[in-house]
Amino acid sequence: MEVNSLTAMAILVLASYIFFYLPASRLRGVLVLIMLGIIGYALVATVAEMPTFGASANPPHNEVYQRYLHQAVEDTGAINAIAAIITDYRAFDTLGEVTVLFTAIAAALSNLKAH
Amino acid sequence: MEDLLVRIICRLVVPFVQLYGLYVITHGHLSPGGGFAGGAIVGASMILFALAFNLEAGSRKLSHDISLLMESGGAIGFILAGFVAMLLGQNFLTNKAAGFPLGVPGNLFSSGAIFFFSVAIGFKVGSTMCTLFYNLIEGSDRHRSSE
Repeated sequence: MEVNSLTAMAILVLASYIFFYLPASRLRGVLVLIMLGIIGYALVATVAEMPTFGASANPPHNEVYQRYLHQAVEDTGAINAIAAIITDYRAFDTLGEVTVLFTAIAAALSNLKAH
Repeated sequence: MEDLLVRIICRLVVPFVQLYGLYVITHGHLSPGGGFAGGAIVGASMILFALAFNLEAGSRKLSHDISLLMESGGAIGFILAGFVAMLLGQNFLTNKAAGFPLGVPGNLFSSGAIFFFSVAIGFKVGSTMCTLFYNLIEGSDRHRSSE
């Protein structure tokens, strides 16, 4: 069965109503169990509809990976294609990761030193 | 912890761990690994040193000032290597188009800016790991003594 986005929204709204607004009682426990079952069914149904692993018609099999695999050495001079991707093709993303590290250590130190 | 065996073995092992970390950092464009993995190894070696000896010995090996310098220097070096490409008339963080010499693929000094990026990331990650560890330990020590 296909789980469309409207069904998922309805499930989430119902679940949040039950989880956050119903008082604790036996009825709430039963409802929580039923909602968990529905959410679990939706998740498993979504996984069951995913494309076959490694099939040639999958979305990741496009010109991007061909470019990375075939032209990385020529474009960047690095024989490690992963290093070529993360520090050349996607260097801006890596700059963001370094910024995340810097922000994390600054926040942690300012908290630790404040005490 | 005052254990002679652990201390002697750590004293033997830590230089090799650090050498391996530097190898992983500088060979990031040739073999699996790179700045993040190599920096984690270097940082873990300093954590191992502080665990086997104590915090004072670890702080003597890598003081706060040097750690701070490595930390900021890693981030700023990454950004400066990106700005070099802008000075050469290309976009931020470009490598080949900005005219960095690519060298022979497979050599250690090849692939232009990727080498500098890896080294900068390695410094950054290693110093971040051991700075965070040392400061957490210091904080718990201070907390315990104040109670």
